[in-house]
Amino acid sequence: MSEIDIKRISYLAKLKLPHEKEEFYANSLKDIIKWVDNLKMIDTSETEPLHNVTEKTTSIRNDEIIKINSVDDVLSNAPDRAQNFFKVPKVVE
Amino acid sequence: MKNSISHIKNSLRGKKISVEELYDEFFTKAKSSKTNSFNLLLDKEINIQSIKESQKRYENGNPLPLDGIPLGIKDLFCTKGIRTTASSKILSNFTPDYESFITQKLLDDGSIFIGKNNCDEFAMGSSNETSFFGPVKNPWKNKNVPTDDLVPGGSSGGSAAAVAEGTCVASMGTDTGGSIRQPASLCGIVGLKPTFGSCSRWGIVAFASSLDQAGPLTNSVEDAALILNSINKHDFNDSTSSNHVREDYLYGINDKLDQKIKIGIPSDYLKDVSGDILSQIENTKKALFKHNVEFVDVEFKTTEYALSTYYILAPAEASSNLARYDGIRYGVREEGKTLDDIYLNSRTRGFGDEVTRRILIGAYVLSAGYYDAYYRQAQKVRRLIKDDFQRIFNDVDFILTPTTPNEAFKIGDKLDPISMYKNDIYTVPTSLAGLPGISIPSGLSTNGLPLGIQFIGNYFEEKKLLQIAALAEKELNFNEQ
Repeated sequence: MSEIDIKRISYLAKLKLPHEKEEFYANSLKDIIKWVDNLKMIDTSETEPLHNVTEKTTSIRNDEIIKINSVDDVLSNAPDRAQNFFKVPKVVE
Repeated sequence: MKNSISHIKNSLRGKKISVEELYDEFFTKAKSSKTNSFNLLLDKEINIQSIKESQKRYENGNPLPLDGIPLGIKDLFCTKGIRTTASSKILSNFTPDYESFITQKLLDDGSIFIGKNNCDEFAMGSSNETSFFGPVKNPWKNKNVPTDDLVPGGSSGGSAAAVAEGTCVASMGTDTGGSIRQPASLCGIVGLKPTFGSCSRWGIVAFASSLDQAGPLTNSVEDAALILNSINKHDFNDSTSSNHVREDYLYGINDKLDQKIKIGIPSDYLKDVSGDILSQIENTKKALFKHNVEFVDVEFKTTEYALSTYYILAPAEASSNLARYDGIRYGVREEGKTLDDIYLNSRTRGFGDEVTRRILIGAYVLSAGYYDAYYRQAQKVRRLIKDDFQRIFNDVDFILTPTTPNEAFKIGDKLDPISMYKNDIYTVPTSLAGLPGISIPSGLSTNGLPLGIQFIGNYFEEKKLLQIAALAEKELNFNEQ
């Protein structure tokens, strides 16, 4: 098992771990990854990955428009809004 | 049984109690409870219209299947106009503008929600200690150390504690790796996880979408069947919802078994278990022996890989599902100068330790260079686990296991995540295979704490599963112990 680069992983997960907690999470991750490493011993060269356990049940509906909520409903939980939009800091100069 | 749905409905029909009085009785008890099993209790005024309509239906002689029954709802189901937090800081201000499929079906059948049950944050935990709103206390006490506060199990710990202490008649929970069955077992009640794809996930805060399944926590197997009748329906809004024909799960539940039943007991599950746990299995064997039931030893080849598989797949799916919490559209936003700062601050401060840990595991196993070795390999092993169950179900009707490897433990006792994860050793394999499982209380430990057994059935065979569970429940007679 290679070393875990906790800074890279937290960057991928969009988390900014406080400096004093980096080691805590790095050690915890290391223990868990070591614990799950036993899967590598299994020969799965002839096995297909399983995505959905009840593989035959996927049902697809007709693509019909149903109006179930309004713009105001959708925006009702917005931390910040401006007219009919979610408001965020400026991203384009 | 005093608190069973059918008994309460009889009292409502016979005018021994009104729907309003019933609500008051449960609400008052819930309000004064010290178990912290509700994140939110709904004042009678909020429900008064439903209470009046329900009363009217009783007076007109046409009550609905769950009419007037006060239910708890795990705080993971979106409830329209009612705060839904997933027990997380990041959703602590979230009020959905729509109703989940399951809770809508429960409302359609006349039930009345008394409140939202505490749970582990985003349903990630086995002890209900990861909730932003604090741990839930198990209403049971260790008779040898009665001062200790014990965990109720998790993640549906608030649901299980509330049903066990009688602050709601039943509660709706969710189960990803054991989150209904394990707390049901530790609180001495019944918990059913239906086949994956039976009950729609629409409107349930997602944890691991290929594993999450809703199900009831109840006082009896019969109550579980009654609730399953309400919620087990096809839903186009969940693409994994099965469209098979559903049965009436209550009808004939107490019928005599008309054919010989063969139950497999996995010998590999029982290695190194305590005498207390072993005696649950032995007592069940004795109790069912006279009912045309044959027990055989079976052995899984994949048990030792189940937890590893789960702790790769579930965090991987969680890290993807929880990417949506960014402080922009809903949930708690933490300030930041730039958009990126808002994302980072909202997520970092909004998630607790266990959720952060699982997001990190998920991000790691899905990252470039590790995806094939971990995530893809786990998906392949998941197929082997499923095949292993199918091999055993070729020869038996049900599998019988303990629900948990131990009784309820002290709050704060298990600090190491891996020892906590091992709590789900008997429930996780069933979840990975997508099979239905039910936990029923089977007896007390030497410390006077409840223990449970799990029956596992084949895909979509909930009717048979409930029948055998009802028979075992009657024979084991836990509630009269």
